[in-house]
Amino acid sequence: MTTLSLTVNGRQVNTEIDPRVNLADFLRDRLSLKGTHLGCEHGACGACTVLMDGMPIRSCITMAASCEGVEITTVEGYDDDPLMARLREAFREEHALQCGYCTPGMLATAYDIVSRMDRADENEIRAELAGCVCRCTGYRGIVRAIERCIAEKSA
Amino acid sequence: MKAPALEFHRPDTVEAAVAILAEGDGAARILAGGQSLVPMLNLRVAFAETLVDIGAIRELAAIEDAGDHIRLGARVSHARIEDGEADGHCSGMLRHVARNIAYRAVRNRGTLGGSLAHADPAADWPVAMIALGVDVEISGSNGNRKLPVEEFMVDVFTTALQEDEILTGICIPKACPDLRWSFHKMRKKAGAFGEAIAAAVHDPESGFCRVVAGSSAIGGPQRLNLLETALQEGPADDDAIRDALTRTIGPLDRYEMQIHTVCLRRAIEEVRT
Amino acid sequence: MTRKDTGVGASLLRREDARFLEGRGRFIGDIEIPGMLDVAFLRSPLAHARIASIDTPEDADGRVFTAADLSDVKLVPPASKVPGHRIVAPPPMASNRARYVGEIVAACIAPTRAEAEDLVETLAPDFEMLPVIASMDDALSEDGPRLYDDWDSNVSMETGFDSGIDEIIANAPVKVTRVLDMARQAMVPLEGKGVLAYWSERDDQLVVYSSTQSPHQIRTALCEALGLQQRQIRVIAPDVGGGFGYKAILHPEEVIVAALALKTGQPLRWLEDRFEHLTAGANAREHRYEMNAYADDRGRVLAIDAKLTTDGGAYSVWPHTNGFDAIQASGILTGPYDIGGYRVKTQTVVTNKPPLSPYRAVARPGACFAIECTMDAVARAVGRDPAEVRLDNLVKPEAMPYKAITGKEYDSGDYPACLRRAMEMVAEAPKTPAPGRLLGTGYAIYTEHTAVSTSTISHIGIPMMPGFEQAAALMQPDGSLELRVGVQSHGQGMETTMAQIASQVLGMEPDRVVLRHGDTGLSPFSTGTYASRAIVMTGGAVAAACDKISVKLREIAAHLMQCEPSAVRLEDGLLKGPSATMTIADAAETWHFRPYELPDDVLRDGLEVTGGYRPDGDKGPFAYAAHAATVSVDPELGTVELIDYVAVDDCGTRVNPMIVDGQVLGGVVQGIGTGLFEESPFDDQGQPLATTFADYSLPTAAETPMIRLDHSETQSPYTRFGVKGVGEGGAIAPPAAVINAINDALRPLGAELCAVPATPKRVLGAIFDAQDRAKADLETAK
Repeated sequence: MTTLSLTVNGRQVNTEIDPRVNLADFLRDRLSLKGTHLGCEHGACGACTVLMDGMPIRSCITMAASCEGVEITTVEGYDDDPLMARLREAFREEHALQCGYCTPGMLATAYDIVSRMDRADENEIRAELAGCVCRCTGYRGIVRAIERCIAEKSA
Repeated sequence: MKAPALEFHRPDTVEAAVAILAEGDGAARILAGGQSLVPMLNLRVAFAETLVDIGAIRELAAIEDAGDHIRLGARVSHARIEDGEADGHCSGMLRHVARNIAYRAVRNRGTLGGSLAHADPAADWPVAMIALGVDVEISGSNGNRKLPVEEFMVDVFTTALQEDEILTGICIPKACPDLRWSFHKMRKKAGAFGEAIAAAVHDPESGFCRVVAGSSAIGGPQRLNLLETALQEGPADDDAIRDALTRTIGPLDRYEMQIHTVCLRRAIEEVRT
Repeated sequence: MTRKDTGVGASLLRREDARFLEGRGRFIGDIEIPGMLDVAFLRSPLAHARIASIDTPEDADGRVFTAADLSDVKLVPPASKVPGHRIVAPPPMASNRARYVGEIVAACIAPTRAEAEDLVETLAPDFEMLPVIASMDDALSEDGPRLYDDWDSNVSMETGFDSGIDEIIANAPVKVTRVLDMARQAMVPLEGKGVLAYWSERDDQLVVYSSTQSPHQIRTALCEALGLQQRQIRVIAPDVGGGFGYKAILHPEEVIVAALALKTGQPLRWLEDRFEHLTAGANAREHRYEMNAYADDRGRVLAIDAKLTTDGGAYSVWPHTNGFDAIQASGILTGPYDIGGYRVKTQTVVTNKPPLSPYRAVARPGACFAIECTMDAVARAVGRDPAEVRLDNLVKPEAMPYKAITGKEYDSGDYPACLRRAMEMVAEAPKTPAPGRLLGTGYAIYTEHTAVSTSTISHIGIPMMPGFEQAAALMQPDGSLELRVGVQSHGQGMETTMAQIASQVLGMEPDRVVLRHGDTGLSPFSTGTYASRAIVMTGGAVAAACDKISVKLREIAAHLMQCEPSAVRLEDGLLKGPSATMTIADAAETWHFRPYELPDDVLRDGLEVTGGYRPDGDKGPFAYAAHAATVSVDPELGTVELIDYVAVDDCGTRVNPMIVDGQVLGGVVQGIGTGLFEESPFDDQGQPLATTFADYSLPTAAETPMIRLDHSETQSPYTRFGVKGVGEGGAIAPPAAVINAINDALRPLGAELCAVPATPKRVLGAIFDAQDRAKADLETAK
């Protein structure tokens, strides 16, 4: 066992963990934050993407024990964040989700894209989304939702 | 698909990390960003009794101007390079290479040093670093050493690192502002590893010139000295490229020969024009 | 509020979105049962092996189980009426012989998955390698190994049809021949398969949570396997993270976990990981078509003579068998065309690969690929534009309903208009290639039998696919409505669309309606969600149940308002009589709480009803679409960039146009995967070569253009509201459209590609072949 202290969704967590556990399993099994989904467990599908210190990372290929002192935000942790609220609305209006399994990772990725980019055309958004697999929607709604939120930034 | 049981250490100095490695007797592995190692642990195709997480060693995350070169700590992430933190001296090449590695979420964790030390034959950084002629700094039980990255990259998944050594820094020589470079990566889709990678670099002031190819099919990065004169002297010719590939790497099947030749030709042409 | 805003035809935003957007979905991996243990499997590392022994650690008793421990579990063989169809049901665990890499050999139980995997690593199995049948060619080789010792060949099923085409063949001026290959694939729902089972004393039931599209089907199979009555198993599909057919079959893991939960008395769970999926789940497509088309000088196709071989893998999955692909492909191979002569032979072979299973649209992407590439080849042969040749060959609207040579009845539609619309839209696609690139455009058009009917399926003897459906509608005392259906919504948005149908029939607001689905403990029997059937079948059943509710409500209202029931209309959530109006809630409340206000005959039967539905004449409607892809090919690297994609579809009445768009778009991108990226190759020892997403390439946003859609709505004469299914269709045409586009681009090089996915290696291979041919021609000329 190894000790771990970090902040998850604004809450301080001090605990002991089996050092083999990855961040996704830690969030899901230890903190019951089931909104972080596992799609591949090798960092290739994006479903498990969460924010670490505000930056998107793959929680399935991040060892929980490496997360000492960091701040993690999962899909359950945005509270009243206005950008996340807007993204959720746009995802719904653009039919950017179907089965919902990729959605938490897509939202974290979208949150990062909209935060980092003040302007982006469709192709740039598509390139930024390349690490996230959606098997249902064909991506159009996701791209459009992000496009809208970026456009609203400069409006 | 869960990692096997392991011990975990998170030292905050290079010396402490080296000491743990020395004790581990070959069964300890460095964990940097983990973007290659952790998937392999999850798949149980890589094994480590002990992980030595270097994430708490601050000096390894530093970027310094060191006179004739710029020094990147080994755990500087691809994303920081993508965002331009280290790019003053390579006319945008570092940014370009970083931006086209995997995906942003991977680039936020993955590190330059980790990529070099992992020595995946399909990785981008080894090709780019050889093309730029960088040196790497290493610390171990027997002290520090520095060697050209070409000597560091020994073979597929094999580097010059001893069991008790850590890659600590990458020293990128400052090039002239007119440095010409090209980095071509043919891949099946965005974010994927390259099927064929070609890099060409030419510093018109110093005359520094490198042509490097890389991919799994050719066994990792290969410097193609034969093409470096061609780059300076005349237009790239497919026959000459094929000849150089064959002489450097050995025979390639038609598909591999074609894609590597085309990437190399395009890289060379881009640098020449 | 009008019905137009909330009923059939409204692009209502989805009810289900809120929970997924906030991470409050409940998928199989999210469910925790006290005392639950995880299961990991020892799987065969060899494609064909005798299992000599499995040594287990001494302390592994009660934690490691092999086939011997499941000797009381019965095999569940799927049924087939095809003469001579040799069917071998997959054993839950291999006992003495493993027949594909990934086949389960032992199950290990531990408190966590990681520990269960540790336990797997302690097992010492002794496998003796047997000769491997790694491909269709291996399977068909005369003197090669046999997968089953008592078979005289590796052919599991053969079918054929001949309308009599010898005369056409003798006289046709144009003959075109192509061999077309579609690679094996994995289906890759983003959430893997998963199952969790425990015995509930209070319910006297085995409760099985399964990530499945078909809870009642799985219950049926589990009861058969475990020797339980159907009342003794409850199968619950929680939120399901994509299915695509992968979750519409019985998985060995479902049987094992259920059986071991009974045996051990402990709640057990198995969650498929991606490695398991890409190896043991590499089970879709893999067809080879040998196509001969006979045409006149203008490219009017007179007859098709085809041979289809499918790689059925090692076993026959329940309930569809390994023959479903071949049967379905041969039944639709003439496509949307008016073709007078047809001969086909199919053979399904067994190999050392995972059992072939139906993937979104089942065999139709293959059949469409075959006929549509052939159609382009015909056009080339007669020197005409492929789209024009198609227009000449398509079934004309005035011929509807059209009886195809295959015996299928295409119910309605204007196929040429659909293609012409796609052609118009293509006119807006980019026309100027980037330097060094070649541009090409390709078309593909299909017609798809959706919500397949009993009569269609019964002749191939798949008893689990009847063409009827039931739904329960439970009017609540406050006038809200609970719908219960046995299908499972895993992305299709049925929680929204079924509420829209209730709104259409009862005039109430959709947010007064809730849909319960995917739980045998709650709903009437259903065979589940597959075959683009839910909106037709379940939609029809929901409407039928709501009709019954409507009658009851109007009876109540008529009594209370003192008028005839026929004079009461249901509109805007209100029961409107000639002189008075009341709310649905008033009527429902009266029935539940003030029965003294109603006469006996109105009270009888209750406000909770089950409606049944079967399309008129037991006919499945045909949805159709025309797709067009525009690609940019780098002829030096073989890379293909999809720069424009157009899909014009007709699925009859669209209950929710936004959701229809989503189904089409998602299908198209999966089809693009089949056409350009996705492939599960095996080496000559039957080892899977794409076992992670590093090797199994899925299309992402970066590989797909903004797909442009248009629709027409030709109502089916046979279904409620005129709907046709749309869940699968999008995936059918892209492989064909993409290849036709690539071949259009490669034309100046004299190259033609006849296989998907069109990876750079395959594209360059086609170019190399053309170069070699040109070189050889030059040599000959010298």
